[in-house]
Amino acid sequence: MIRVEHLSKVYEVPVRAPGLVASLRALWRREVRAVRAVEDVSFTIEPGERVGFLGPNGAGKTTTLKMLTGLLHPTSGTVEVLGHRPQSRPPELLRRITLVMGQKQALLWDLPPTETFELNRAVYDISKADYDATRAELVQLLDLAGFMDQPTRNLSLGQRMRCELAAALLHRPQVLFLDEPTIGLDVEVQAIVRTFISEYNRRHGATVLLTSHDMGDVSAIAERILLIDQGVLRFDGSLTELARRFGHGRRLVVRAPGHDLSALGMTLEDNAWQATAEPAAINPMLAAVLQRCPEAEVSVNDPPLEDVLRRAFGASRVTA
Amino acid sequence: MTAGSPWAELRALPTLARVSTSDHIAYRAEMTIWILTSTLPLFMLALWNAVVQDGQIAGFGQPEMARYFTATLVVRQLTGVWVMWELSYNIRTGRLSSQLLRPLHPLFMHGVWMVTALPFRVLILSPIVLALVAWRPDLLAWPGWDGLALFVLSTSLAFCMSFLIQCWFGTLSFWLDKSDGLFGVWFSTWMVASGYIAPLALFPPWARHLLDLLPFRGMLSVPVEILGGFIRPADAWPYIAVQAGWTLVMIALVHVTWQRGVRRYGAYGA
Repeated sequence: MIRVEHLSKVYEVPVRAPGLVASLRALWRREVRAVRAVEDVSFTIEPGERVGFLGPNGAGKTTTLKMLTGLLHPTSGTVEVLGHRPQSRPPELLRRITLVMGQKQALLWDLPPTETFELNRAVYDISKADYDATRAELVQLLDLAGFMDQPTRNLSLGQRMRCELAAALLHRPQVLFLDEPTIGLDVEVQAIVRTFISEYNRRHGATVLLTSHDMGDVSAIAERILLIDQGVLRFDGSLTELARRFGHGRRLVVRAPGHDLSALGMTLEDNAWQATAEPAAINPMLAAVLQRCPEAEVSVNDPPLEDVLRRAFGASRVTA
Repeated sequence: MTAGSPWAELRALPTLARVSTSDHIAYRAEMTIWILTSTLPLFMLALWNAVVQDGQIAGFGQPEMARYFTATLVVRQLTGVWVMWELSYNIRTGRLSSQLLRPLHPLFMHGVWMVTALPFRVLILSPIVLALVAWRPDLLAWPGWDGLALFVLSTSLAFCMSFLIQCWFGTLSFWLDKSDGLFGVWFSTWMVASGYIAPLALFPPWARHLLDLLPFRGMLSVPVEILGGFIRPADAWPYIAVQAGWTLVMIALVHVTWQRGVRRYGAYGA
């Protein structure tokens, strides 16, 4: 499905000192610096997988995504998507993939989204029957009926993003590349988009590769995590494995209304007393909680993904 | 060139044309203003009328100037494109990314957008030309059916050349931060060398011979001269052949530049 071997991308970035003299010198002597955005990355993704591609800003995740879609040409290494080299952009491949960019719009700005849908029907050569069926499904799943005949410029960001998703999926792609699909959206629309992506994957067996800074996206959609930092792949595995490797202990969450558990070193967050501790320290803490309030609702979880990633990126910086 | 197949593009054409027409309607006010600002030939007509007065320069008196610049107004409207700015902007801002991911060549889509603007130009231009001809019937000479057919062919080639050269300059944005400046240099040369501000017949013989070989004349002056009756239909074919030759050269140039440029594409901000 997706095969990446020893993929690297080096950008040549122009550099120039500040000041007029440096500007004039740059006219005849342009200095460039090589920046390694992606370095020797290898992985494979099987059909139907939902993969979260995580990393801090400038880690190389979007660059990798652009190489997977053929927008960027790799400096070295090979990429294969559905049996094709993406950088050749063969129509057979382009008809089976899609890229949704949370910060870029593909909809026609002054026309209603329905016009972009029609345009994509023609561009992707979708039969009338398939188009009608897919469009009806997308309109229902994303709840577009109330606004898709208004000019795009008059839509809210959330409405626009839902229409972007619909426009990008009309041709029923087998591989979805999603770059920050929920950026800037409110909580309600984020939930709609996350549910929709998971549902689309379930219904059509589509492969999903998602980059996001929002841990809610990742935990709701991805079953496998690729962690990239400074262009290097640091981790490839499940969310549970990620928490085990980089998580600091376990998270004890206690719902005990009317009780104060601060004496046990716990803090009140979201109406629940919470504490993170090494696994060996969890049982004594749990016993102390139940002694004070036997009726408490207790759960022991993996630590929050944000904490895990903070530690993971910290560790990768040390080992890099 | 890259994505798409001719059959898929043909099948997509009616819908693309319909959607792009809707897009032009959405921008009707801007387009009307833009078309009305392209009436420089009328000012050039007034200027040259004042220059020639009752005499003639290189066979051009006031009636010839009137026919020439009315034809220039018509041809300029039928061959005007703005793909260079669109392409340059899309490349610099990363908006090209979504177009590159469609199984249809981005330049084909741009081409459809430019062609479907033509009916609007004709619609806005017609009352102006009709009013001018009603006022002075000698402003537009009937070229005959064969002349009209050659005019349509020659104008189509001039449109293709204008579109292709702008595509080429736009594609240079893969290398340059902004190719608008470079296009400005070209456009200044075109203004003089295409016959836009003065008939090429007024140029010295060596310049006319040189311009016969360059693409500028075919981008405006050839269809203007056919419509204005300055080139007889029987004599038009060599000029049309030069237009066709330059069209092929430009297709090759755009193809090579595009293929190389896409490899350099940074997909910034996307």
